[in-house]
Amino acid sequence: MSGWSTIRRKLKAAAEIYEGVAMAPYRSAIRRRYARQRDAFLLATFSEALGVPNPAEFYTLELMPYLMEELHEWHQRVGMDHPPEGGWRCC
Amino acid sequence: MSVPVRSITFVGGKGGVGKTTIAAALAVASADAGRRTLLVSTDPAHSTSDILESALGPEPTAVTERLDAMEIDPRREADAYIADVKARIRDVASPRMLKEVEREVDIARASPGAEEAALFDRFARIIPRAGEDWERVVFDTAPTGHTLRLLGLPEAMEGWMSGLVARRRKLRSLGRMWRNVAGAAAGERRDGSDPVLEALERRQARFRVAREIVTDPDRAGFLFVVIPERLPILETRRAVDTLGRYGIPVTGLVVNRVLPERADGAFLARRREREAEYLARIRDQLGGLPRWTVPLRDTDVVGLDALRGLLAELAP
Repeated sequence: MSGWSTIRRKLKAAAEIYEGVAMAPYRSAIRRRYARQRDAFLLATFSEALGVPNPAEFYTLELMPYLMEELHEWHQRVGMDHPPEGGWRCC
Repeated sequence: MSVPVRSITFVGGKGGVGKTTIAAALAVASADAGRRTLLVSTDPAHSTSDILESALGPEPTAVTERLDAMEIDPRREADAYIADVKARIRDVASPRMLKEVEREVDIARASPGAEEAALFDRFARIIPRAGEDWERVVFDTAPTGHTLRLLGLPEAMEGWMSGLVARRRKLRSLGRMWRNVAGAAAGERRDGSDPVLEALERRQARFRVAREIVTDPDRAGFLFVVIPERLPILETRRAVDTLGRYGIPVTGLVVNRVLPERADGAFLARRREREAEYLARIRDQLGGLPRWTVPLRDTDVVGLDALRGLLAELAP
């Protein structure tokens, strides 16, 4: 009886150690990379709003309806309660 | 007539050299020779309507049995695109957000490149139809500087779009990785399709096809119209070099409004002496291009018959 449950308990502990030692840093590294890439994409797409010329500005306008949600995620993630002055105002 | 008309022919040159007339004459000749032809003008002043004596609009209108013609107004194209973007924003934005986003869209509409971009988009949709809906498409282009920027766009835009597509793809695969490792913490799972990536890829494909066609010497060519005067020659020389850099084949040069032999009088004799210098300069600076001469006429070129007469006089 105790044999199996001991093994299970130890496996669970090992999994938690693995999670803490390996997975958590991996997961947060992925999260950071994902966030950075999302920012980079928004910047490349709407650079004109920051005063950086974008030769394709006219064609990226059509992306705006789909990207408003991502812009909202961005300003919340970077710690702004509201989007920056003069820019979008989604909340 | 042996002026080369490829399946896509751009007719260009400095303002006022007779591009619209030459383009219309080429289109009429092409249609008369049995080829289904489309003449595309981007002149908002409706000169093509005047020359062909028919009311043209932004969609192809039949002029003769095999000739269609259209006049694209860049301002109208840009407005239509903006209206479409706004309509789609209205579907997804909250009322509060709507005003702000529409303001951003209006700023973009007012930017100097907007009408050019809209015009280029229209070109890019017409170009692949050459060889399908029409055997030949003749573009009567805007004056040189503007046209060169326009023809340089496919390369610049394709590069930019490719960059955005690559970023978006990378973002998508990172998003998958993130959902795999984060499980429930990643929030609700979205389905596999990404409208942003789809829109970018559509644009990228459209620009790539347009660039492939306009740089293919079997399918496209740029014909310059020049008059024997100083500035048009200088401008054409520079434009030929620029097109070379874009990889757009230049097929020839139409020297328009050359004083005919029979023009008499002491005034015209002196004028002809000046003209001889400029014709020599054209041979010197643009000598590598096949050349055709169209004499100055004593009447206006208006209507199909006059256009047919114009090319009948073309001397190689």
